[in-house]
Amino acid sequence: MSAITSPARQASSGLGAKTINRIVIYGLLALFAIFYLMPLFVMLVTSFKTMDEIQNGNMLSLPHAPTFAPWVKAWSEVCSGLTCVGMKGYFWNSIKMVVPAVLISTLLGALNGYVLTKWRFRGHTLVFAMMLFACFIPFQSVLLPMATILGSLGRFGVTLQNATGFNFGLGNSTVNLVFVHVVYGLGFTTLFFRNYYEAFPTELIKAAQVDGASFFQIFRRIMLPNSLPIIVVTVIYQFTNIWNDFLFASAYAGSGDVMPMTVALNNVVNTSTGVVEYNVNMAAAMIAALPTLIVYVVAGRYFVRGLMAGAVKG
Amino acid sequence: MAFLEIDGLKKRFGSVEILKGINVELEKGGFLVLVGPSGCGKSTLLNTIAGLEQITEGEIRVDGRAINDLHPSKRDIAMVFQSYALYPNMTVAGNIAFGMEMRGVPAAERQAAIDKVAKILQIGHLLQRKPSQLSGGQRQRVAMGRALVRDPKLFLFDEPLSNLDAKLRVDMRIEIKRLHATTGTTIVYVTHDQIEAMTLATKIAVMRDGEVQQFGTPAEIYNNPTNIFVADFMGSPAMNLIPAKIDGNGSGLSVVLDRESRQPIVLPMPGAPAGLAAFKDKQVIFGVRPEALTDPEGAERNGSEIATADCHIEVVEPAGSDTFAVTNLGGKGVVARLRADARIQPGTSTPLAFNLSKAVFFDPATEKRIL
Repeated sequence: MSAITSPARQASSGLGAKTINRIVIYGLLALFAIFYLMPLFVMLVTSFKTMDEIQNGNMLSLPHAPTFAPWVKAWSEVCSGLTCVGMKGYFWNSIKMVVPAVLISTLLGALNGYVLTKWRFRGHTLVFAMMLFACFIPFQSVLLPMATILGSLGRFGVTLQNATGFNFGLGNSTVNLVFVHVVYGLGFTTLFFRNYYEAFPTELIKAAQVDGASFFQIFRRIMLPNSLPIIVVTVIYQFTNIWNDFLFASAYAGSGDVMPMTVALNNVVNTSTGVVEYNVNMAAAMIAALPTLIVYVVAGRYFVRGLMAGAVKG
Repeated sequence: MAFLEIDGLKKRFGSVEILKGINVELEKGGFLVLVGPSGCGKSTLLNTIAGLEQITEGEIRVDGRAINDLHPSKRDIAMVFQSYALYPNMTVAGNIAFGMEMRGVPAAERQAAIDKVAKILQIGHLLQRKPSQLSGGQRQRVAMGRALVRDPKLFLFDEPLSNLDAKLRVDMRIEIKRLHATTGTTIVYVTHDQIEAMTLATKIAVMRDGEVQQFGTPAEIYNNPTNIFVADFMGSPAMNLIPAKIDGNGSGLSVVLDRESRQPIVLPMPGAPAGLAAFKDKQVIFGVRPEALTDPEGAERNGSEIATADCHIEVVEPAGSDTFAVTNLGGKGVVARLRADARIQPGTSTPLAFNLSKAVFFDPATEKRIL
């Protein structure tokens, strides 16, 4: 209907209305983008200012005399609680936690998705429903039970240490966090991969079976090489979540030199001795935010594509 | 003993029986086509031969050896899939060699095999491309190459041509037939296209609802269908199946075809087979293929039993090579196949020749062939 009537209407008032629509849409979009980017801008400019300039100047103005001193201080000198060795140690703590956690949870999610779609067994829907349910369990509710489990694992580690001289990482805070994040992330990674593999042509698996490939050979040679978009989505999602996690980090590695970046940043900002060094705090916060930004910039174009592929076809 | 024997094969999913006792066999170098409408179980049957589906009952033997409990890779078969199922992340050469790679064949040997197959299928220039860079026909060739390189005992084709356009389909059909003739391989081929079945097969199994309706050579299936389903399914245009009555007077039997608001057509059958007498004064289904219903000049000269009757032509379809005329007999549209240059006008009456030696009769109640 409208397709038939609109040309006539457009002839009279169409062009003007269209332009106004465009202006409103782009104007709103620009406004929201500015609103959202403003804090980042403030952080960035503040981190390059001296304390004098911060105390006397405008929050939004560009730095008069840009300085890297706050970044240097944040990286290697700033005090987190009573220890003043900068953020670098905690940064590496986070890296040591996030890389294995992302890799393991992604790989296990891919394996789960592969089995749930291509090697269906009796009750596979129930298993998937339960894994999906894991996505909806709030962090807070697993804190205490998980602490108990981690405690038991730690004691088992001590036993192993006494028996074999090696504790296999059990009881180590970083290992604990990797474990927690892998378990908690499994629901999401399985969901991503299951939906992606649901649309994956089953004839390819049949062909590979006839060709004599085994379960894991099919996974490694056929499934994984054709899963790049969903791998990127999962890696970005998991990396961002695990890197930014504060609750598990503060609960299971909340003090000492095992703290991940997020907990350390909180301690830096909360330190209440002397003047609050906003520029150093902002630089520390930027350092904490950089890895997720980099991951998104490097792999971001796959992110949208992958989300679409998973969502629409699944 | 046949090369491929399928013996009492049954397949159940829960309580649903998908294949209800299939018995088929094929000689070495034969070309078996499983044909039927969608959902008849033909693809499931092929998958059970391939080992991609487990069977519930029965046995599948290749070259005298039962294979139904073996893993697909141990059955010495190769399969071409409907979607071609080329691995998108590998080159054409990688696709063709994947099976050999999985079996641990040395690289030099693999290369020699790839080159040989590439030469047969003329895909040498494509070997380093990815499947996404190929056209439909090229993908089809690569899929066949992947099967051919294995040199298996049995080739399985699952509707390999259904994704191609009409012209390419005919080309590839000829290609497959040529390949079969030159390599002498044994092939089981699934299709829903009865022309593919007729042109390619040495043996056809027409399937419906998990049962083989008829198993025989293409000529047997075409000329002597065992029931109405097979008669209707095979052949294009389909066989005319006209409700009729067998009438008998002193001299012999005749077939009576009712017409709306016109005199019934009476076709005398002096040489009627003896069995037909039992259906005297009863309703039957009179089956006659379009080419056995033609203009008197075009009718088979030496046909022993030609009966001619005036028919009212409703529609004329000139198809180039032939002209099809539609008339109404027994309440159904009936297609006659005339010469291309037949002078015929819709809305007029014209004499049509019924070749009764090619006619078949079915029992309307059981849908089975009377004779």
